[in-house]
Formats: sequence, structure tokens, C-alpha cells
Amino acid sequence: MKFLTSLHILVLAFIISHDVKAQNQIVADLSQENVKITTNFLGAKILLFGAYDGQKGDDIIVVVTGPKGLVTVQKKEKVFGIWVNTKSVNYINTPKYLNISSNRDINKILNQKTQKISEIGLNNLKIRLQPGKKVQKEKEWREALTRNMLKSKLWRLNENSVSLNKNALFRSYLNLPSNVITGQFEVKILHYRKSKLISKELSTINVSKSGVSAEIYNIAQNYSTLYGIFAVILAVLVGWGTNLIFRKV
Amino acid sequence: MYIYLPIAEQPIHSLAILGVGTFLGLIMGLVGVGGGFLLTPIMMFLGIPPPVAVASVANQLVAPSVSGVLSHWKRGNVDFKMGTVLLLGGVVGSSIGVVIFNFLGKIGQLDLVIKSSYVVFLTLIGSLMLSESLNLILRKRKGKVSRGKLHQHNWLHGLPFKTRFRKSKLYISVLLPIFIGIIVGILAALMGIGGGFIIVPAMIYLLGMPTSLVVGTSLFQIIFVAANTTILQASQNQTVDIVLASILLLGSVVGVQVGSRFTNILKGEYLRLILSTLIILVSLKLLTDLITIPSDIFSVIISR
Repeated sequence: MKFLTSLHILVLAFIISHDVKAQNQIVADLSQENVKITTNFLGAKILLFGAYDGQKGDDIIVVVTGPKGLVTVQKKEKVFGIWVNTKSVNYINTPKYLNISSNRDINKILNQKTQKISEIGLNNLKIRLQPGKKVQKEKEWREALTRNMLKSKLWRLNENSVSLNKNALFRSYLNLPSNVITGQFEVKILHYRKSKLISKELSTINVSKSGVSAEIYNIAQNYSTLYGIFAVILAVLVGWGTNLIFRKV
Repeated sequence: MYIYLPIAEQPIHSLAILGVGTFLGLIMGLVGVGGGFLLTPIMMFLGIPPPVAVASVANQLVAPSVSGVLSHWKRGNVDFKMGTVLLLGGVVGSSIGVVIFNFLGKIGQLDLVIKSSYVVFLTLIGSLMLSESLNLILRKRKGKVSRGKLHQHNWLHGLPFKTRFRKSKLYISVLLPIFIGIIVGILAALMGIGGGFIIVPAMIYLLGMPTSLVVGTSLFQIIFVAANTTILQASQNQTVDIVLASILLLGSVVGVQVGSRFTNILKGEYLRLILSTLIILVSLKLLTDLITIPSDIFSVIISR
């Protein structure tokens, strides 16, 4: 498998390097575009690779953003000796998966201002508080969000993880943890020369539940009462069945 | 072999779950109680979200209870009339419990309530069991085993709607078993337990039932309470993980059968001594989680 993918890259590079040079563009591919969460899913490792028309000193940044939505940050406080969730803040438009990879430290590639404008970096995401709520010390909550998302491995910052070859080829690995959220993942490959964006390429990864695991989830959501009754019947049958088996033994 | 749990939305080692199920089944078979109230905390220690742990354990409890009732029934150890009255209360109670469960989930305090109820009940049951078994062991060493009165009369027996329970040789108010059923039902739904460890002492000490009928009758009512809890948890909260429950119940039904065959070999009081130590350890672990400073006082919830 590994051998095949390396070969794949080489062949691809040969074929497309002329086109890439001529049009100043990026050509990229993924080892897996559809990630299926099945009963033996333990997470996925996806190879992202391709060719770009580079010069010495050029940089590549890869940003993968998962589905966005509501993420609640909770704060615990000590109440009568027990740690209790007492306050919470809702963030809307929050990516439930985020992976930022680059070939070297992002601060060396782009200055702070450019990072902010192009929304690169964990602190430059356009995440908003739920409208109509005022929060004191918002910075503390925002930092807690980043820290916890990084800890859950749903957000990742991998500087120095994109490997470049002969200013023409790049490759990077993408890790989706087992608790990944299903949906469309947007892959953005950005090519910088002296901090200026030369070209970019977009791609998508689809993460979905599949097979028995997906069926069970759907039934539990859509036919929840029937699902419950079925779960009980199953348990009754197993209980009754073992009694029959063990009576004879 | 890892298996992805569709409702808990995470992979878990299936053999570990099977092992835990079998171990708890063994305890159930040996001691007569102890399925749910150890199983749910262990599931939480293994990283299953507490709401899913509670609902799935309720589902798995149905199996060993059915299996247990059938063998007790054969020996004539089930008072169906008393069981029915208890389960009526139990069904009402577990329905109330699921509503409370849903409400606590909405205000974000579910984990806290589940864990702290466990600390309270496990500590209580663990220490009662520990002192009782130690007492019995000490008394046996001295060679004196005294028997108490069959049952005592108190104000509880003065309540209205008196009914005769022939099998249990009782003439008491139906309100009492209904009330016990409701309380146990609420706890069953909230904590993912059958409630055997509450209902068994309640039947012996409050109702005055003969001990030979207690386990069979309590298992009979647990079937219905656990079934009602499972269906309601599934329809209200979508927290029943049938894959998790199935692995657990396969382990537990075998464990129960094996365990019940060894009850005559191992001495009951020593078993209870081991079990109570285990219960107290689990409770201490839960308590430490609640009172030690969390590594991060902030946490996130990602809505699906």
C-alpha cells in the first residue's frame, strides 16, 4: 500500500509537472476521499500529496476544516467541595475538526496581520459567540476552547509536517480521530512565495457512517421507540435462551 | 478486537466489555445483586459517556433478570402478586426518572447527578454490606448465629388499602410496595441499575417478606422496570447503545449461570465482604473524581 502510493506520486509528478509549471497551479490528490465510519473504525490517516510550481524558499500550508456548528464551553467551580459545571458559553460557527499543516513555522511564512486576514492559525478563526450573550473575560473562554479542542485531537496544528521535494512535490498526512464528526471536510492547499499567495487548490473529504453502524444509528434516531422495544426483546430472548441452554447442561 | 459503538460514537475493545459483563454476571450469580450498580460506573471509567452508560446498562439488565426469574420461578421463589404491585410503582417511577434524566441533560448537570448519586448509594450500600458481613464472620467464629424476628410491625403496616399476599404470607397496604417501586424506578432510570440492592433490603426490612422469595420477586420486577427504562431512554434521549448492551449481556448471562452454580462452594459472607470492598473502591474513585481539582476547569461539548 505504502509502496503503491509512493509510486503513485512519482508517476503523477512526471505526468503533470509540465502542466503545473506552465499554468502556475497546484495539482493535488488524496489517498482517500470518502471516509466510512464502520464497526471497526479506529480513525483514519489520509495522505495528501501533489505537485506545485515552486521555487526555492516557497511554502505550502494545508488547512482542513470539518463541519461547523455549535460548541459549548463549560466552566467548573467548586460548590460545597464538589466541582460542578456552573457557567457555559456557546460558540457558533465553530469547526468541529481543524487541521493546519505547513512546511515550517507559520510565523516564518506569514506575518501576524496576513495570518489574521487569511484566517490561518488557531486564533484567527472566525468563531462567534452566540448572539445576544455577553461574556466577561471572553479571552479566557476562547483560549479554553482552543486548548480543549487540541486536547481532543479534533483540532491539530502541525507545523513542519508538510514535506516538500525539489520545489515541485509536496506531501502531508492527515489524521482523523475515531471520535471525528461526520460531514464534508474542506481541504485547502495554499502555495506561498515570499508571504504572497501564488495559487491554491480546493478539495473535499466526505466522512460518513456506513454499514451496520450507520444503520443502527439511523434507526435509533428515526425509529427510536421501535429501536427501544427491539433492544428489550433482544435482551429477553438472550436471557430466556441462556436459561434453556444451561438447564440442559 | 475493537468495535465502533454506534451510539456512544467511539471504538471500544470488545473483549474488555465482554470480560466486564462476565465478571459482573458472576457477581450477580454468586450474590444475587450487583449487576447495574457496579457496571455503570465501570462503563464510565472506560470512557463511555454517562448518559449512554446508564441507558445501555438498563437494556442489558433485562437479560440476566429474565434468566434469573426463570430459574427462581422453577423453584417457586417468585411472588408474582407482590412483584406486579412493585413493578406498577416501578414503571411509574422509571418514567419519572427518564423525564428527570432528560431535564438534567438539558441543563448540563446530568454527569454530576449520576456520579454523585453513585457516590452516595455505593458508599451507603458498601459500608452496610461490609459491616454486616464482618459481623456475621465474627459471630460465626464465636459460634453464635442468632436469628431475628420474622418481621416487625410498625406504623407502615397501618396504612390503608390492605391486601393479602398469600405467597409472602403478608397482609399489608398496597401503598407501601407501590411507593417502594416508584422510588426504585426513579433511581433505576437515573443510575442505570435494576435497583436490586435497594429493593431487596426494602422487601426484607420494610415489607417483611420471606428472604427466600426476595431475590426472585425483585428480579421479576426489575425486568419490567429495566425494559420500561430502555424503551423510554431510547425514545426520549436516544442513548441506548444496542451494540454495547449486547456485548455486555452476552457476558453477563453466561456469568450469572456460572456464578449461580458456585454459590454453595463459596461462603456468602466472604463473598459479600469482597463485593462490599469492591463497591467502596468504586465509590471512592468516583468521589475523588468529583472533589479533586480538574486538570482543566473548562471543558467542551461538541453538539452533533
